[in-house]
Amino acid sequence: MAGGTRVADIIGMRDDQVINKACSFAMKDHKPPAKPYILEKSRGSPDTYFFIFPGSWLVSDWFAQKPFGETKINRPDNPPKFPSLRSIGNDEVATVNDAFLRRFEEKILGASDFKEKVQKAETDKKQIVFTGHSLGGSMAILATLWFLDNCKFDKTSPPLCVTFGSPLTGNRIFSHALRREKWAPYFIHFVMRYDIVPRLLLAPIPSIEKEFESILRFFATKSVNKPEEAPDFYRTVMTNAASVASHAACNLMANPNLLLETVTNFTALSPYKPFGTYFFCTGNGKPVVLRNSDAVLQLLFYSSQLNSEAELHEIARTSLDQHFGYENELKKMQDVVDLKKLETLSYSAEATGSDSATINSALNDLGLSTRARLCLLAAVEFEKRKQRNMDSIDTKKIQKEITELESYRVICKTRLMSCYDAFRLHNSPHDFKANVNRLELASIWDEIIEMLKRYQLPDDFEGQKDWVELGKRFRRLVEPLDVANYYRHSKDEESGPYLGTPGKPRKPRPKRYIYTQRWLEHAQKLPAESSGESHFWAEVEELRTKTSSPDGFEQVKPRVLQLERNIQKWVNGEELGKDKDVLLCQESILVKWWKTLPDQHKKDSAFNNLIY
Amino acid sequence: MNRSPIFSSGLELGSFVVTSNVLHHSWAAISELYGEIHEPPSWDSPVRFRTFQQPNCTIIAFVTWPPCTKEHLQGQGRGDLVSSSALKETFPLFEFLCTKTNPRFSINKPAIDLFVSVRGVLNFLKSQISNKPLIITGHSLGGSVASLFTLWLLDKINLATTKRPLCITFGSPLIGDDGLQEAILQYSAWNSCFLHVVSDRDPVPRVLISPYNPTAPELASPTNEYKPFGTFLLYSELGCACLEDPESVLVLLVATYSEGSGFDYKDIFQQLNGNVICKDSTKVDEWIAQPLQAGIITQLGAIGLGRLQQLQQQSIDMNTLIRQTERRERKWLIRRREVYDSNVLSEMKVYMAQLEWYKKCCEDEEIGYYDRFKNAFDSSDIKAQGFKKSLTCYWIDMVDEVEKKPQRNGAAFTTRWLFAGTNYRRMIEPLDIAEYYRDGKTDYMAKGRSKHYTQLEKWLSEDEKPASRPNNSKKQNLAGGLTENSCFWAYVEEARISCNVLSNGESNDMDKHKRSLIVFEADVMGMLNNYAVSPEIFLNRSSFMKWWKEYLEIIRKGIMGPSHTSPFTEFMQNRQYRQYAPGCL
Repeated sequence: MAGGTRVADIIGMRDDQVINKACSFAMKDHKPPAKPYILEKSRGSPDTYFFIFPGSWLVSDWFAQKPFGETKINRPDNPPKFPSLRSIGNDEVATVNDAFLRRFEEKILGASDFKEKVQKAETDKKQIVFTGHSLGGSMAILATLWFLDNCKFDKTSPPLCVTFGSPLTGNRIFSHALRREKWAPYFIHFVMRYDIVPRLLLAPIPSIEKEFESILRFFATKSVNKPEEAPDFYRTVMTNAASVASHAACNLMANPNLLLETVTNFTALSPYKPFGTYFFCTGNGKPVVLRNSDAVLQLLFYSSQLNSEAELHEIARTSLDQHFGYENELKKMQDVVDLKKLETLSYSAEATGSDSATINSALNDLGLSTRARLCLLAAVEFEKRKQRNMDSIDTKKIQKEITELESYRVICKTRLMSCYDAFRLHNSPHDFKANVNRLELASIWDEIIEMLKRYQLPDDFEGQKDWVELGKRFRRLVEPLDVANYYRHSKDEESGPYLGTPGKPRKPRPKRYIYTQRWLEHAQKLPAESSGESHFWAEVEELRTKTSSPDGFEQVKPRVLQLERNIQKWVNGEELGKDKDVLLCQESILVKWWKTLPDQHKKDSAFNNLIY
Repeated sequence: MNRSPIFSSGLELGSFVVTSNVLHHSWAAISELYGEIHEPPSWDSPVRFRTFQQPNCTIIAFVTWPPCTKEHLQGQGRGDLVSSSALKETFPLFEFLCTKTNPRFSINKPAIDLFVSVRGVLNFLKSQISNKPLIITGHSLGGSVASLFTLWLLDKINLATTKRPLCITFGSPLIGDDGLQEAILQYSAWNSCFLHVVSDRDPVPRVLISPYNPTAPELASPTNEYKPFGTFLLYSELGCACLEDPESVLVLLVATYSEGSGFDYKDIFQQLNGNVICKDSTKVDEWIAQPLQAGIITQLGAIGLGRLQQLQQQSIDMNTLIRQTERRERKWLIRRREVYDSNVLSEMKVYMAQLEWYKKCCEDEEIGYYDRFKNAFDSSDIKAQGFKKSLTCYWIDMVDEVEKKPQRNGAAFTTRWLFAGTNYRRMIEPLDIAEYYRDGKTDYMAKGRSKHYTQLEKWLSEDEKPASRPNNSKKQNLAGGLTENSCFWAYVEEARISCNVLSNGESNDMDKHKRSLIVFEADVMGMLNNYAVSPEIFLNRSSFMKWWKEYLEIIRKGIMGPSHTSPFTEFMQNRQYRQYAPGCL
């Protein structure tokens, strides 16, 4: 399994040439004032265009505000530059190093011909490679993300992002969102075993600020004399890396001791997390490949641990030198060791065995102790647990309940009623049975939502076609019943309108519908909140109350008009399914209410034609 | 099925605690406090304390001067326990720890005496706490005072709105028995507030483990009275690990003790921080195939049991120790991870839907589910009884769960639960009342009502909620609603009994019955005005309507006084109730 794998096999290229070229371009000394980016072309079929991003040795380009300098990746402007970089249901937007984002926005997107050049390259069907070393790696990452979210590209020859010794750039949502979008494989990160830069942002800025300036000066001048701050710098970064890694490991191991939470209140943990494919370079030309970002985080810490305190000064120097060791390392590169089958790994450093021998020796090359291996294993198990959580969802039962409710809808139709109206009246045994179906479904879906909230399902769950589709079917069919139930039991009296009151965070609308609606809107790239066809009944109920007072209509006229437009749109489309035929019959709550509206309005309304 | 392996995260938690700086800050506060003391040591070791306001936390530190020693603790009466019943008389601050299932506990006498000596300043110390995170710390017996102070505080603060305080003790003796342990352990949030740091060279935390004999330890002696609680951070020069399972803590406290002089808790930071960035040396042999076992071995190694001379000195069989610790850890982890299954509540919702349907069917028969359940008995009633039984079992358990928690912790009942509970009470209690009066019993309110209903009702009234006023929506949707007062039917039954007594005319309590009838009709009128009763009470065959007919008879006979009339009687006589259900009053 491990023997004979090359870097090219992992990234889906014909040979390692692309990587080697990217490396030598990226590692070139870009003397200031460096251009925002450099374009290099390489012949082949197709031609490869390298977009190279130089780094920077200015402290202000690395850190914005304290303690970790992160910010939301989408600035509060419209529209977002990176719409995919969030979790869908939870709607948690990714955070990114503010200094990096600003540099990217100002120097690359804002003040260069980058946009045009990259779009042209795509139209001309070039293989696009974004690459950079050190901080340039972070620029390459942001450039790639921007490209993926804003340019159309051919999925059979996607762009590639190759970074060398790049600092961490974004939080855990990066990994989550990229795996959902299936973009994670496009990101290749090379990290030397001891290179300090990829670990740097695990430490809070104030703790390393003092030493960092002279470290950067050393990087800029590549002087022979190592800065005397190196050991302290290494110790601080590693201690903080230990803090982040052990905190993460406790969660991976499902630690039940709440002391973890109590102590977390007293400490600030770095939000930055790795994502994409990592090549850990061990120094002997056999890099170790990992795709599990939880495992990568553990390795970032454990692979550069000391054997003993006595090594501190030596390793501290190495941790700076290795930041420039990538070209040499890549020249030596032979086979890579893919840790895909990490689960077969034995926990002990001495273990041998036909299949695990290669992996084991790779882990030894990375200097992993028993404890480090346990953490890696926990990361692998954690991923499997997410998969198991998904497998444990009773989809057969969902299908069965949905099918039963679909036949309920047919029955309602024979009674010349929409299921909303029938369920609202609730006077036939069918309605009662439908209520039981509704509750059964609610319990399954609420559990799914609960797992999503805690990120306990696979990252790509919310992007899986089957689930988006099932969520849509479920929402369109069942939410009207929930709305009916809500108003039938006068719950609006205690909890306000079904869709919530503007300005109040608590919404009575169940999360199972909010989430499934967001899935659909994301999958079809619709504007947020645009597919409300499953809950327009709530608006009918609210307006019904509002227009019952004498001057009520005038106050809500815009809402009435909007509702009429929406219903017309949905009746003409397929959103309302079979319900649309009975929606507007005379007995419906909607029609009864509409008829109470002022005559002048009714006469002018295009809605008039729909009612028969 | 492929079951996921269990991991023990003691090393990782230990490493996180060490790198988080909480130990560092705490010990710095303690050293500063010691540094301020200038008087000569005295035998009674009074408590010293001070509050430190740090930029991002508040620290309250306790020490005794001089710090207590092994010899001091071994002195006459130093291991005595004071029981909670004795404490109740003299110092009732810890009464809240006693619960129905765990009614007793005992605390080490010297520790409680020291705490009593500072009782005058407790409120002052509490006033020093801001909204910054709080560390309460102490060394040796000072740590015991810190633990007791933290416990006292846990009762005083609202954990739902305040972050949990963190109590860090350094080398403190154990302070209580299994009762105290149980009281704290049953709430993992409480247990998580205590972190006890213990060096492998410190005898003080081990003295009260009996029989204490470091040369031939009897592992897990069942006769030991003192029990640990909270998390223990055990450390040696090889590393550290956090342990929570109290049985393992007891065993390993004894097993890791390494006699020797010259240790100081101040060295812990440099030593452990250094350890963190170095590889741990414990290697696991080839035959290991279980991560839990591998985890236990590395932990035992880190806390000092990797040293050969340690094992020989204490004649410990490492393999046995590993096996036992692993077994205990597995049991502990499985117990701690058992989470409440939220699916059960969904199941209960389905039962409620079934009963709602039952109610609806009854109404179609013009009888109301109360009377239907009381009188008739066919298959649908039997089914309803089944649902009722499941629901009742569930809610009795739920209420019991919440009640078991100490006072002021009842906020565990969230609004969502309370809504569900209230719905349940309004739906099911009438059926209980029906059964009660069917059997010919009387006075349900005093003699028949199950405690869990009373409790649910009490919680609802404590849950701040504006008084419900009638509005359109409530009026329009009255038909499907439930009567708000779940005991309504018991009042109806009692009113019928009163009518019966009055019409027979042979009682000494005539006036009492008249009075209660007048109160009853006024109450009903009040509920009607608030749309707080379900219109099903006006169904033809309902007990309520039967009562009304009986009552009307009594009024006509003049028993209630000449020409008795009230808003209620008018309401009924004018048949205004016909407009009640459609919400047209």
